[in-house]
Amino acid sequence: MGFSTGITGIQNMAPELPVQASEDLLSTPMFNLIHSFGVDLHHAESYIGKTTRMSRFERLSTDGGQLDGSGIDPASEVPVRTDIDATMEIYAKSIVTNEQVVLWENSKTLTKFTALLGQWLREKEDLLMRDLFSSSVSYINATGGLNGDQPSNISLNDVNNIENILLGNDARSMLTSLEATLKFATGGVRDAFIALANTNLAADLQKVQGVLLKSAYPTQEGIRPEEYCSISRFRFFVSSKAARTPGISLLGNTVYTIPMYGLEAAAKIEQNNYTAVIGYRPPWVVSSVAQNSQLYAKFAIARAITNQNWISGLNVTTFQPS
Amino acid sequence: MPFTIVSQGTFTQPATAVNQNIPLPSGADYFKTINITQMGTTSPTVCVAGEWFGGGITAVNDGLRWRKAGSSAILIDKFSTSTASAGFTYVTTNPFPQAALTGTTITNANPAVATVTNTYSNGDQVIIYNAVGMEQISGMTFTISSVSGSGFSLVGLNASGFGAAATAFTVRRVSSSPVGLITAVAPSFLYVTAVSQAVGAQVTTSQQHGLVVGQKIEFQVPGSFGMIQLNNFNQPSSKPVIVASIVDTYNFTINLDTTNYTAFAFPASSGSPTTQLFATLAPAGQAATFNPITNVTTGYNFTTVPFRTNLFVPYMLVPAGANSPGGSAADVIVWQAFKMETGTINSPVPS
Repeated sequence: MGFSTGITGIQNMAPELPVQASEDLLSTPMFNLIHSFGVDLHHAESYIGKTTRMSRFERLSTDGGQLDGSGIDPASEVPVRTDIDATMEIYAKSIVTNEQVVLWENSKTLTKFTALLGQWLREKEDLLMRDLFSSSVSYINATGGLNGDQPSNISLNDVNNIENILLGNDARSMLTSLEATLKFATGGVRDAFIALANTNLAADLQKVQGVLLKSAYPTQEGIRPEEYCSISRFRFFVSSKAARTPGISLLGNTVYTIPMYGLEAAAKIEQNNYTAVIGYRPPWVVSSVAQNSQLYAKFAIARAITNQNWISGLNVTTFQPS
Repeated sequence: MPFTIVSQGTFTQPATAVNQNIPLPSGADYFKTINITQMGTTSPTVCVAGEWFGGGITAVNDGLRWRKAGSSAILIDKFSTSTASAGFTYVTTNPFPQAALTGTTITNANPAVATVTNTYSNGDQVIIYNAVGMEQISGMTFTISSVSGSGFSLVGLNASGFGAAATAFTVRRVSSSPVGLITAVAPSFLYVTAVSQAVGAQVTTSQQHGLVVGQKIEFQVPGSFGMIQLNNFNQPSSKPVIVASIVDTYNFTINLDTTNYTAFAFPASSGSPTTQLFATLAPAGQAATFNPITNVTTGYNFTTVPFRTNLFVPYMLVPAGANSPGGSAADVIVWQAFKMETGTINSPVPS
């Protein structure tokens, strides 16, 4: 493996000629982006620091409160506020292109690379939210599966355990129900919480008791392509980049982390004028002999778990070691 | 300019040398260290300089080692050869699981002590699994201390109540952060190893917790650990628990009277792998208060409280040790990171 200079040059960008280059570019692979769409979006203004505070008042006590006719007032209660703070961070990526690439070998590189940077923006944001989920949330090891590992493969009991936790903590579902229809082999889907799983778990999800695969939903209208199935009160979305840690199960297998949450469990905070910045630096700026130009993308993001009681999840392994 | 220094700096090892993580925002194609202290010493028989090459040329935990031999002659070899020691590791993801080691015993004592041949350092984060006879900790993450080449202590684990010692286990280092943090985002969830039954209960975690007074937390305690009253839905008004005081890096007290709660205890090893594991806690915000008389704000620390990136990546892990690039106690180390294209990209517009 050789050194990478970081510059796109004629050494690493093979000529398109003498073979003919099709005008249509093939698709650049992109993983399913599943970690952002279920979170709340907040907004940060400029010039007032990089920490955003989200606040919640906790419930008042429902103990007592009855007036007994004596004229004595019940004890007042001091409201309790919980503040959740998040720090804004900026991420950036650039591509430097040598003029010889454009001159001799590749056309429309600015267009191509702009699209690449745009894809990077979305993918990076997704992974940052994934890291939040895998770092700052308590997970329960699945135990209901039969693979003999710890955690085990996923089972209905494990999913129900998480449902108990979320319902017990008064979490609200966020996806509306899909009404049952008279279509053969379909079933209705209740209003649901969200579960985010790795694509390696697809085979195991199919085997969970009571699973309703997406193909068996009464309608496909408005269903995201990333959705895979529904189990109990959860609708599962899958991505090849969903959280996993290799080699840390009891038997040394990969452990997959499945965040499962309801409304207002987590937040993504945008910085004004910095949601997605894509720019171009011409050769006479980048290079002393005006040969290299640069495209860059930047975005700012802050992220937080806003209600720890409305998010939980499972650590699982696969039935067949992966 | 095809190859230039993008960043450089120096650090001095404390009385007990620790691994150093050098953040490298621009990445690096070449990285070097020079042990200024030992370089000027006659016949130190230690590593005086190290070199790391990017692009996959240098293996994980390796690099070129410049050693000053007893004759003061310079010998150049790899960190992985001869007097094998820890070398450079260029880390681009976090956590960064490394190769597993096989250990022989974990004592059922306070603290538990693990026996395993290793090159780990104090403050490293490890995951232990396959702990035969002590399966109730299999899969848990620990901060290790009192590290020697033959073992380490798990200060956050009082295993004296366990039925037996572990007779075999596997361990994998997942982070070498000297501040004892492992996850990509902070504050992170933590494993709970003990909770006392007391007014202002004391909580013990398997890792250095990094919490401050005033932070709010939520417990998730499975029935197999006993004290399920800590779970939010068993708490009056469902209010998050507040950290009341910091006892030490592994222990803190909370604003709850747990005197009449069910005792907290690990399940038996024999219950695994079907026993539900583990007891954990997770960050739930904070309750900052300002005392206008003492002018002290409690529960707020911009470096530890808000949700944020935990450990900057990429970074270069520079391990401590006489034959490692990070050096020994009181050594002054200079480091430089080089990159090939930076001079071209970032040089100012020619006038």
